[in-house]
Amino acid sequence: MQGLLQGLGRRALAGSAFWLGCLRMVVAAIRSIAAPGAAARGVIRRVTIAQIFFTGAQGLPFVTATALVVGATMMIQVHVAAPGMPGEIVGNVLVTVVLRELAPLVTAIIVASRSGTAIATEIGNMKASLEVIGLVALGIDPARFVVLPRLVAVTLSVLVLEVYFGLLALAGSLVVAAAFGTPELGAIKDGLAATLTPADLALFAVKGLGCGALVGTLACYFGLEVKSSSTEVPRMTGMAVIRCVLGCVIYNFCVTVVFYGLFADFARPM
Amino acid sequence: MADGLVLASVTFHRGPLVVLDGANVRLPRGGTLVVTGANGVGKSSLLQLCAGLVSPEAGEVTMDGISLEPHSAEELVRRGIRRACVFQQGGLIANLSALDNVALPLRYHADVLGLCEPMIEERARFCLGAVGVAPSSMLAQPGMLSFGIAKRVAFARAMAIEPNLALFDDPDAGLDRENAEVVEDILKSYRDDPSITMLVATNHRALIEHLGVTAHELVGGRLVRLDRATMPPSSLV
Repeated sequence: MQGLLQGLGRRALAGSAFWLGCLRMVVAAIRSIAAPGAAARGVIRRVTIAQIFFTGAQGLPFVTATALVVGATMMIQVHVAAPGMPGEIVGNVLVTVVLRELAPLVTAIIVASRSGTAIATEIGNMKASLEVIGLVALGIDPARFVVLPRLVAVTLSVLVLEVYFGLLALAGSLVVAAAFGTPELGAIKDGLAATLTPADLALFAVKGLGCGALVGTLACYFGLEVKSSSTEVPRMTGMAVIRCVLGCVIYNFCVTVVFYGLFADFARPM
Repeated sequence: MADGLVLASVTFHRGPLVVLDGANVRLPRGGTLVVTGANGVGKSSLLQLCAGLVSPEAGEVTMDGISLEPHSAEELVRRGIRRACVFQQGGLIANLSALDNVALPLRYHADVLGLCEPMIEERARFCLGAVGVAPSSMLAQPGMLSFGIAKRVAFARAMAIEPNLALFDDPDAGLDRENAEVVEDILKSYRDDPSITMLVATNHRALIEHLGVTAHELVGGRLVRLDRATMPPSSLV
């Protein structure tokens, strides 16, 4: 019993240290926004734009393919499992499942597996090869130069890619529905219009920004956790991806529960 | 205000290793300190401590009366402390070209240093040229450069910011004679510059002799002045 309690205590302490470390890193990055230095701001802006390109623009092909396939698969499932389902209900299902749940979660998982690994590996290698301490020696704050651009880029990219994923997944579903001829496209559109509420915009923003911030934070944190050996890099990268995916799944669940509790219209069945 | 680099009652451990144990060191502005010591005794850690890259557990490290702390990297530049550190591995940014590596601190602190983009590029090219980096190598990333050329690039980056605190960790280690001479020339010019306070960690007897500076041995958390005539051969090669 005592051993169990000690184990739980150790895990609780390690968990607190982990989240405190993440928080400290994010606070340092956010505080650096207000730090003086017009020239530094220009450099950071350029790094951020490059990171948005790597994370957002270069991630488009993967998100496009995944969204189209997910949307099409949903409609094939409907056609096979519930052939007579009215179009309005199909529209309702597309909003509740694809837009509200799959779009934020799948987008975050794609970004975590693609850019999260890249960021954790890059920063880990920078730590191992003394690049990060070299930056400090040059008077460059790593929280500002390394963490902030990646945090901003991943957060914004997940939000934008989430919207893009949602639209393309709907398009994929509608194309399959049109190919099968049932349900009628008009009825599906009516179902979409009836189910979507203004609160969906808030849900999209909260899930996109939250998942993005989570992926960016964890990828940077585990990269910076590398001490001095390059052999630590793959271990930290693996941990970063696992924590990113798990974190996003739990966050997604929590936000869904809160939104359905807050907005009665949101949970209205067809 | 105390001029130069001052370590006041500094204690620092690297794991179980005692690097400094309540040490008091004062290196006046423009002075040069050469540190020797057996492998693993903590010379690199001492340099990182003196550069303000790690915090001491007790005591304080100051440069010209300004406390050197890792979290105030940018503030130090704004307060006039310009550090140049060349590590054993160079510490160059892997995804930037040699030219961009040298230009990065200049771009980042352009407003503090009073530089515009053409001046930054000109100074970066000048510094790379001064250490003998060919124009064809300036656009290559560090991974594409030989060890010796990468080390020269690291020195060019250190020179570009016109430092007043320069720290070099095994500066000529692994270099051929030609590259080592380039490094020695830079170190000698820094030694003779009254505005630059310099620390060099090395076990190379030849480099210490070329610099003509009395070495101090790091042993048991203390810096012990070495008599040039009786340098212990055990720690010098």
